Amino acid sequence: MTLTATYRLGTRLFWQDRALLLGSVATPAMIAIGLPLLMRHVRADGAAAATTLFHGTLAIVLSITAFMNVAVALSARRDQLVLKRLRATTLTDDRILAGQIAATATQTVAVVVACAVAVHLTAGVPYPANPLLFGAMVIAGSVVLATLGAAYTAAIPRAELAGAACMPVFLLSGIAAGAMGPIREALPSWTGTLLDLLPTTAVVDAVRTGEVARPALLLAVWGVAGVVAIRLWFRWEPRRS
Amino acid sequence: MTAIRVEALRKSHGRFEAVKGISFEVAAGEIFALLGRNGAGKTTTVEVLAGFLRPDGGAVRVLGLDPAAERAEVRRRTGIMLQEAGFFPDLTVAATVDAWRGFTAAPRSRDEALELAGLAGRAEVRVRQLSGGEKRRLDLALALLGRPDVLFLDEPTTGMDPEGRAATWEVVRDLARRGTAVLLTTHYLEEAQRLASAMAIMDGGEIVASGGMAETLAARGGRVSFRLPAGVEADGLPLPVTVDGDEAVCRAEDPDLAAQTLLSWAAERGLRLPGLEVRAATLEDLFLDLPKQPR
Repeated sequence: MTLTATYRLGTRLFWQDRALLLGSVATPAMIAIGLPLLMRHVRADGAAAATTLFHGTLAIVLSITAFMNVAVALSARRDQLVLKRLRATTLTDDRILAGQIAATATQTVAVVVACAVAVHLTAGVPYPANPLLFGAMVIAGSVVLATLGAAYTAAIPRAELAGAACMPVFLLSGIAAGAMGPIREALPSWTGTLLDLLPTTAVVDAVRTGEVARPALLLAVWGVAGVVAIRLWFRWEPRRS
Repeated sequence: MTAIRVEALRKSHGRFEAVKGISFEVAAGEIFALLGRNGAGKTTTVEVLAGFLRPDGGAVRVLGLDPAAERAEVRRRTGIMLQEAGFFPDLTVAATVDAWRGFTAAPRSRDEALELAGLAGRAEVRVRQLSGGEKRRLDLALALLGRPDVLFLDEPTTGMDPEGRAATWEVVRDLARRGTAVLLTTHYLEEAQRLASAMAIMDGGEIVASGGMAETLAARGGRVSFRLPAGVEADGLPLPVTVDGDEAVCRAEDPDLAAQTLLSWAAERGLRLPGLEVRAATLEDLFLDLPKQPR
């Protein structure tokens, strides 16, 4: 019952916050729809290029709508002592975070699905050949990125720095997935090996290649790492000193 | 029945020992005031009892349960008004109560909770638009949603107007009459004196005075104050007094008898004791007379 209640609350707070919607939905959606649409019209292999780029922009949606969104929301609630108030209820710590992570993951999946439909209609990007795999990886990726975003709040000293603190994650995810042009090709080869280990890259690789085992294993490892980090370092209140 | 038991509780924040081995009990239906200056250790004590912090030493039990190890079970039967805690500013009062009802087993209805807290007319107002006192009332509404057996009130009426404060007192008294144990911390000593039947005063992490409110104050006696007549020195009076400016204060176990002695002395000399005031000891007297502990 209480998990459902935190899920509903997280969802409600998200959809009624216009500033959050602009940053967490409109911006990544514009990137995920706009860039493939642009490719469709400037490249000779329009539809194929748009498809490759759309798959890459999934990393951006995951890093903003899942990771950054939850990191910003939880940092703000921590600093405003809202998390402390929630802990004064019958909610357990796990349920408070699980409700928020589930709500954020749902929002992310909704944004991805909306973008997939939009780029299909506007840029000729085909629907996923394997919808089941696509759905499973997007859902798993959203949950893992939201979990990692919750864990990352331990490294965010103050709520007003949360957005800026998430920028490196956004940039790395975008570069790794090829959503920001051929930057990755200009980097030393060993960086490519590291970038391939990112959870966002795992989702993009699975969607692009249809591979399941390695991406699933990577996501599982990142998911466990996120849960362990939350257990060890998550702060429910701002630092007193 | 004992609702709250604290035995030799110790708690440090880093190197700072905030609570140094305090003990007290609160019975069901009792309003117990935990008082003290800022930094005395009151809020740390409440946060241990509420399960936010684990004690470093000693033991605490709320309704027979360990609040840190059995937090979920303790929460089902307790209500907490924290001294500092935020709300979701963009939710309305009604939406906030509705959300919290979802976190509470067998909650009061929204209307009942808002009526209790005196917020019935503010249901559709966004939390960010509430005054400080109204936010405390909303805090109270949330704390009472689950019909708690134990209620922790940390500075419950800060920012409230006199009417709101009186209404809150009445709600708290009514809950206690129905058997709820209330642990109250407040800077308003008048509030503590009016509400609580027992109290402990903390200073420097220790309890420096405790007992039943009425008995403790009666044992303190009272005071007679007046302005010193012109030409009269303090050592010329029949009772010992302390003098601050031109005001003399005589502390006595029986302030009525002391006043009679002083007035008889003055009448024999054809003097008046202007501004004469006789009153029993207050919690404020007790509080101010305590020796200050080094921080």
